[in-house]
Amino acid sequence: MAKLAVTRETVFALRREIARIEGILPERFETPDGRDATVIRRGGMAVDPLLRSGIRRLDETLGGGLPKAALTEIHGGQTRDAGCVAGFALALLSLLLKTSPPEAPVLWAGTSEIFSEAGFPYAGGLRAFFGIDPEALLFSEVPKIQDALWVAEEAARLKALSAVVLEIRGNPERLDLTATRRLHHRAQDSGRPVFLLRQAALAEPTAAPCRLVVSPASAAARQTIIGPLAGSIGRPAFTVAVSKSRTALPGQFTLEWNPDERAFEERRSEERTGEKQRTENPVTLVPASFGRADPAAATGTVLAFQTGPAQAPRHQPSRQERPTHRRSRRTG
Amino acid sequence: MKRGMGIADARAMHPTIEVVEADPDADRRLLESLADWCDRYTPLVALDGLDGLFLDITGCAHLFGGEKPMLEDMLSRFFHQGFGVRAGIASTAGAAWAAARFSGNHIVAPGKEEAFLGPLPLSALRIEQENRTRLESVGLRTAGAVMAAPRSPLVRRFGAALLLRLDQALGRLDEAISPRLPAAPLSVERQLAEPITQIEHVQLVTESLATTLKSQLEQRGEGARRLALILFRTDGAVSRIAVGTSRPLREPPVIQKLFHEKLSAIGQDFDVGFGFDLIRLAVLSTAPFEIRQADLVGEANDDDADIALFADRIRARLGEEAILKPVTVESHLPERAVLTVPFAREVKLENSAAKKPGKARDPVPLSVSRPEHPIRLFHSPEPIEVPATEVPEGPPLHFRWRRALHRVVRAEGPERIAAEWWRETIPKIKVKDGEDPEVVRNRVAAMEAARLTRDYFRVEDTEGRRYWLYRQGLYGMSDKAPRWFLHGLFA
Repeated sequence: MAKLAVTRETVFALRREIARIEGILPERFETPDGRDATVIRRGGMAVDPLLRSGIRRLDETLGGGLPKAALTEIHGGQTRDAGCVAGFALALLSLLLKTSPPEAPVLWAGTSEIFSEAGFPYAGGLRAFFGIDPEALLFSEVPKIQDALWVAEEAARLKALSAVVLEIRGNPERLDLTATRRLHHRAQDSGRPVFLLRQAALAEPTAAPCRLVVSPASAAARQTIIGPLAGSIGRPAFTVAVSKSRTALPGQFTLEWNPDERAFEERRSEERTGEKQRTENPVTLVPASFGRADPAAATGTVLAFQTGPAQAPRHQPSRQERPTHRRSRRTG
Repeated sequence: MKRGMGIADARAMHPTIEVVEADPDADRRLLESLADWCDRYTPLVALDGLDGLFLDITGCAHLFGGEKPMLEDMLSRFFHQGFGVRAGIASTAGAAWAAARFSGNHIVAPGKEEAFLGPLPLSALRIEQENRTRLESVGLRTAGAVMAAPRSPLVRRFGAALLLRLDQALGRLDEAISPRLPAAPLSVERQLAEPITQIEHVQLVTESLATTLKSQLEQRGEGARRLALILFRTDGAVSRIAVGTSRPLREPPVIQKLFHEKLSAIGQDFDVGFGFDLIRLAVLSTAPFEIRQADLVGEANDDDADIALFADRIRARLGEEAILKPVTVESHLPERAVLTVPFAREVKLENSAAKKPGKARDPVPLSVSRPEHPIRLFHSPEPIEVPATEVPEGPPLHFRWRRALHRVVRAEGPERIAAEWWRETIPKIKVKDGEDPEVVRNRVAAMEAARLTRDYFRVEDTEGRRYWLYRQGLYGMSDKAPRWFLHGLFA
């Protein structure tokens, strides 16, 4: 028995050491059911360090939920997906503001480029869908990416804001691993989440512990007393794929946002139909160019529209790749 | 060489002469920059004609060791900048004007104006040329002669202006000079023995000046709302850097931080030259300062102050438009219902929902019947091509937006939003002479379009993206088919 206690002491000490190295120094307690519970004490009140989506499967994949004091990347494949990417981020914000009293405003920073390409966040819709009051919103629109990053970094260290959203389009050179690390550290220090919305961007190395890829999903029909109303567009729906997380578990979820309850609901049955429709008109994703070296092409990607001579049939090498001796020899 | 000589004559006399065109605007700018520089002696500097400056040095001379050292300092600094300057000091503006122009670098002692002006010619009185010749024709050739003459015939023959100038010069009447810049309510400055060239040093001096300022602000019970840092370069150039604050401010580190943002925004473009030898921090406007008690926990919960400071720093660095807040307005038009205004601007809209006095309005209940509005709205609606609709007044079957074709799977609507006739006055179209009729027609069309009824549809495409489209105008209103626009995106 004594030996067991000593072992546990050692484990605790090691865990504490790991936490110190990782930069999170919460008090970790062993709960009776064997799972770890992390409690950060502030002003005598325990604050949940994780933002739980309410979907059990998603929370488990994320290791309990999204960390509140951290940078979280939310990716969208195309600029026209900006609506649903922003919608998902706003749903998370709405969950965040639901648990904590929404006295502190949310700052939404971005470059002029993304706001003109994908539209400016519209406070009227935000209140209707996510219950976020216009008074609780601040926007920052600057022309240059380095200025947007500066605004976000300065905002991330403020405890007076409840969250910071930074919206950037494409894969600009300025937004590299170092920049995300700076954002992440500031978020850790202040204990406020920073959501980095990256529209039309490919996954890059990031300091954020979680990266979610959001794509649109068909909405279910509106529910009425007599059943679903055919042809109507119901609650917002998203397809969320976990691309990076602490647990490293892959996962794809179709979530529906309930604006009345301000909660997520997972959808499983309709998922099939949504999947089928999506494959109807596939377009290869190409990130928005940003005047930097192209990233190495992922295996299997091709350009969306190929010009030039007709392609070789599938499973056959193209003309250039064909061995020389088989080439039709020119005569004359 | 004489004034008014032709260029050809002058060239004949001196073949190597350099001819420079007169540039009154540049002269004016130079005089203004000199006036800015003279700000180091007194905040009240006025321009006098095309070639003179009035400085009201009341209460300032002792800072430079008296009137004579001040005059000498001023003359030597102008000399080193390469200007030929004549200056005079007197108790009245008129006497000082005469002293500067007629007996160079002279200080007229108080009460000695009459004796000083007496022997001077009439032009020392700042009177019109016409009056001067008329006075001279009756034998009054000096200012002393005019003073000795009886007043009432003078007024009758030469007008009140003559005696007004005389009385002003002698101090019988007050003369107000009109300063270029309003005098700051508070300002502190530091003369530097050695000019500084490093921006970091400027910031250090700013902070120490702000510390001095703090006690003065505390005595007045006020905080600064607008501050200006005035940097006097050794070669005479003056830079003014102004920052605004969202709430009254007096903490030196905070003030220093705001100027730090402003200076780093200017960055490399900031011309330091040979350094600054005088730095002044002026408070341009103040407001009452409320002192709040902090809580014992130590975590200061004055969050508004943090946000205000954060907003001020963004404004100082990136401009007023860089940080915005939404303001809801009672309007049906979506682009008018929410305005985004700069953070610092006080919203004074009579129909602003947020600012109804007395009762706090309940937000509009989120009922099912309320039509849903998008979460992203385009600044200007984007035109889309709609080849076909199911029924004439119905939603599109598919549409082309940004060259990509989107097939509409489901649609809800229409939500009809008409122009606000009670707000809009029908403007008269002005046609200028010789204007292209095509341009006029476009303008008329744009104005008409703004007043057209819009039918909004929520549509969802095959991949699950939800858009907010509208058709501008109705079918059958004109021979052209109504145009379609995409106005927003849904979650």
